[in-house]
Amino acid sequence: MRITFVKIIVITAFVVLAFLGLSELNSEPVRIGHLKAQLVSEVESVRSGEPFWVALHLDMDEHWHVYWRNPGDAGLPPKIKWELPEGFKAGEIQWPYPERFDVAPLTSFGYYGEALLPVQITPLENLSEGGTIELTANAEWLVCKEECIPGKGTFSLELPLSSESSEINADWAAELNEIRNKLPLRESGWKVSTNVNDDFLTFDLRQPDWFEGEINSVTFFPHQKGLINNASPQDLEKTNFGYRVTVERADQKIDLPDSISGIFVSESGWRGADSERAIQFVSNINDKESAPVQAAGIDNIGLLKALIFAFLGGLILNLMPCVLPVLSLKVLGFVNQARESRKTAFMHGLTFTSGVLISFWILAGVLFLLRAGGEQLGWGFQLQSPGFLVVLSSFMFLFGLNLLGVFEIGTSLTTVGGKGAAPGGWSGSFLNGITATIVATPCTAPFMGSALGFSLTQSIAVSFLIFTSLALGMAAPYVVLSAFPRLLKFLPRPGRWMESLKQFMGFLLLATVIWLSWVLGVQAGINAVAVLMIALLLLGIGAWILGRWGQLGAAFRVRAVAYVLTALFIIGGLSLGLAGVNLTAAPDTFTSKSNGLITWEKFSSDRLQALRAEGKPVFIDFTAAWCLSCQVNERVAFGSREVQQQFAQKGITALKADWTSRDEEITRALAKFGRNSVPLYVLYDGSSEEPEILPEIITPQIVLNAIENIDS
Amino acid sequence: MKVYLGIFLALSLLTFGLACSSDAEEAQTEDTGVEMAAEKKPVMEDRTAQVGEMAPNFVLTDTKGNQHALQDFEGKYVILEWINFDCPFVKKMYNSGKMPELQKKYQEEGAVWLTICSSAPGKQGYFEGEALKNRMEKEGWSGTAYLIDESGKVGKMFKAKTTPHMYIIDPDGMLAYAGAIDDKPSTNVADVPESTNYVQQAMTALMAGEDVPVKTSVAYGCSVKYAQK
Repeated sequence: MRITFVKIIVITAFVVLAFLGLSELNSEPVRIGHLKAQLVSEVESVRSGEPFWVALHLDMDEHWHVYWRNPGDAGLPPKIKWELPEGFKAGEIQWPYPERFDVAPLTSFGYYGEALLPVQITPLENLSEGGTIELTANAEWLVCKEECIPGKGTFSLELPLSSESSEINADWAAELNEIRNKLPLRESGWKVSTNVNDDFLTFDLRQPDWFEGEINSVTFFPHQKGLINNASPQDLEKTNFGYRVTVERADQKIDLPDSISGIFVSESGWRGADSERAIQFVSNINDKESAPVQAAGIDNIGLLKALIFAFLGGLILNLMPCVLPVLSLKVLGFVNQARESRKTAFMHGLTFTSGVLISFWILAGVLFLLRAGGEQLGWGFQLQSPGFLVVLSSFMFLFGLNLLGVFEIGTSLTTVGGKGAAPGGWSGSFLNGITATIVATPCTAPFMGSALGFSLTQSIAVSFLIFTSLALGMAAPYVVLSAFPRLLKFLPRPGRWMESLKQFMGFLLLATVIWLSWVLGVQAGINAVAVLMIALLLLGIGAWILGRWGQLGAAFRVRAVAYVLTALFIIGGLSLGLAGVNLTAAPDTFTSKSNGLITWEKFSSDRLQALRAEGKPVFIDFTAAWCLSCQVNERVAFGSREVQQQFAQKGITALKADWTSRDEEITRALAKFGRNSVPLYVLYDGSSEEPEILPEIITPQIVLNAIENIDS
Repeated sequence: MKVYLGIFLALSLLTFGLACSSDAEEAQTEDTGVEMAAEKKPVMEDRTAQVGEMAPNFVLTDTKGNQHALQDFEGKYVILEWINFDCPFVKKMYNSGKMPELQKKYQEEGAVWLTICSSAPGKQGYFEGEALKNRMEKEGWSGTAYLIDESGKVGKMFKAKTTPHMYIIDPDGMLAYAGAIDDKPSTNVADVPESTNYVQQAMTALMAGEDVPVKTSVAYGCSVKYAQK
C-alpha cells in the first residue's frame, strides 16, 4: 500500500515536472499534456508595414478546457510573451466570447475542446526584401477538466518577407474567419450605462435606432475578476430604450473601478438575427450610491419628451397639405354650428377626437400584429404597397374633385356642414376623425417616419401612449375651438368665402395626388404612373357624370343611369390602376426588389478608374459571404430606405467587391487601401483624390454622414 | 350625448390605465427582485462570512479525529487556508516552501493556522488516513490542524472558491482578511519571491495595530472540488 502510493506520487510529480519543463521550438502542433498546441498564421508571407494575424491554437482532449481573459471563480487565462524581430509589434490577445461552465457553487468562463486566440502582428515599415523573419511565442496556460494542469510551450513561425501583398494561408483562413466572427464588437451602436447599488449591477442597454431584432437572452461576462457573483443567474428585461441586465455583485465586495468593462453575449445577435453574438463595452458607473431608480427616472423623462414631441407633431400634421383641407372644413363646420349650444359643439369636438384616437390605435395595432408576424415594417409601411398608393391617390383625387364642386354627395365625405344635432351628425364627426387620420398617414410618413418607427420598437404600452399623444395633438385644435366657440369670432361671418376656401383646399388634395404618384413612380416605374393617370381620368369622368346628372334635382331615370355609369367608371378606373401596378411591377423587379434602389455592380479596377475619370462618386463595398459583419452591415446600412434614396439621388455608383473566393484583383485593391481583410468600405466623392474609408461597422447614419457632402 | 362623453372618458381612462399599469409592473418586478436576492443567499448557519463582520462559528474534525470549533480559539488570530495538495497553485506555495514558512512563523507568534480541505471524497485533493499523513509530511505542512470538510459546508459558509483561498480572523472573532494568498496569479514557483503576500501583509498590519491595507482580494487558483449533487 505504502509503496504503491509513493510510486503514484513519484510518477505524478515526474509527469507534472515533465510538462512544466517541456518546451518545443516548432510550428507543427505539439502535444503537451491534455492538449495539442500550435502557433498558426493567416498569411504565408510578410510585407513591410502590413499588419497580419497569427493565433495560438489549443486543441484540447475531450472534456478539457482553458480559460477566458477573466477565468471566473477559478483558473487562469493563457498568456503569450513574444520574441519578435526588431521593430515588430504584437497586439493583445483578441479573446473570442467564452462559454460559461457551472460546477456548483462555482462558475468559470472559458473554451471547451478548442481555443483559437488571435493576435495581430505589425511588422516594421521599410523592411528589406527577401529572407525570412521568425516570430516566437512563449505561451503558458492552465488546462482543466476536474483537475488543472499548467502547460507551457515555445512556438516559432518562420515567414518569408515579400514585396507582394501577402498570400492567405489556406489551411487556417477559414478557422480565423470563423473566430473573428466570435470576437466581441466594439462599435455595435448599442450604448451601455451602468448603475450600482449594494447588491446589484444594473446595465441599461440602449438599442441603436436601426435595430429591429429581439434580444431573448443575455449573459454578461465582466473583464474584471471578482466583480460579480459568477454563479448567480442574470436577469434580462425589456425597457423603453432597449434592455436591462441585472447581475448580482460578488459577495466579497471589491473596490469598484471607475468604469466597468466587459462583454454581453446573446444568441439572438446584436445586429439582428444571425448577426454578431457578442458586444464589448466600457461604461462609467453613473452612481455608486443610488439604486437603478435613477435610470428609470431618466427613462421617464425621455418618455415625457417623446410624448410632448408626438403631441406637437400631431398639431403640425394639421398643416400638411393632405390634412389642411380636413381642418378647414371642420372649422367651417364650427362656424355653422356656432349658433348651437356650446355643449353640443364641444361634444362634436370630443367625438371627432375619439374618431382620430381610435383610428390611430387601430393603425398602431395593425402595425404591431404585422411586426409580430415577422414583417419588417415602419410607419408609412402602407406607402410601400403600390396597390395602396393607387387606392389612396384615387380617394384623394375624388375628394379633391368633391371640394372643387365637381360633384356633391348627399352626406358629403367630410360632412362639410357638420349638420349639428341631426342624428347623423355624431357619426359624421366620428367618421370625420377617421377620415382625417387616413388622409394624414401619407403625410406623416416622410416627416414622422423615424420617430414613429422608434416608438414601435418600444414596449406596446409606451408605443400606444406615443400614438395616443400624436392623435390628441392632431385633434387638439378642434377640441379647443369647440370648447371656446368665441375664438371663431375672429373668423368672418359665414358666406361665400367659405365656398372659395373649400375649393382652394381641393387643389391641395390634388397636390397630394402628385406626391403620391411620384412615390408610386419610384416603386413601380413610369408606366404604373401613366396607368394611374388614366385611371384618375376615368374616375374624373365618373365624378363629372355624377355631378352633372346625378343631382337630386334630375329626373329619377336620369339619376339612375348616372349612378350606374359613375359606379362603372369608378370601378373601371380603380381596377385599371391596380392592374397597372401588377403589369408594370414585373419587369421592374430587378432594380426595385431586394436591395431597393441600389444596384450593385461587380467591382473591377478598370470600372473604378473609368468612373473616377468621369468625376462620378463611387462607393465600394469589399465583402465576403463568410464575413458575418459584412453581411450584417449590408443588411443594416443598405437596407435603410433613406440610404437607398440618397444613393439614387446623388447618383453614386455602387461597386461590390466580393472576396468570398479571395479574388486576386480584389486582394490587390484591398492592399492599396492598406488592408488584407473585409469588411472595407471606400467612398470616392467624385472631386477629391483621396477616398474616404468608412469604419468596419457601419450604420445607416454613418453612411448618410459620409455621402452628405456629395452634390446630387 | 352623455353616452359619447362616457365613451370618451372611458377611452382616456384606458389610455392612462395602460401607462400606469406598465409603470406599476416595473415597480413590482424591482421589489420582488430584491426580495429574491435576500432569500437566495445560502444560509448555512445564521450567516456567511463577510469581511469586517464576526466570522461564523464552525466545528470540524482533524486528521487525528479531534474536533475543533472556531470559538475555541477566541483571543487568538486564526488563519484559514483552503487546500488541495494536487492543485498546481497549492503546489507552488508548498514547493517554494512559502506556505510552511508562514505556518511556522505565525504559530510562533501565537496565532492558530487551520488548513481546511473541502474536496469531496473521490475528488482531487481528498485524502484520508495514512495517505494523507504521508502527503502532509512530504509537503512539509506545519499548521495547527488539518480539518476535513468533505460535505463542503464550511467551505460554502466562507464562500471559498479556490485553492488556496485565505482568511484571517482577529482575536475578537472578526473576519479581517479574505482572498488570495498573494498578488501573482500563476503556478510558477519563481513568482513567489516576487509577489506581495497578502496574508503576511495583513498579519503584519494587524499585529502592529494598524489598518489592513488590502482587506479583500480576488482569490486565484483551482476551483474547490465541492461535492456535486
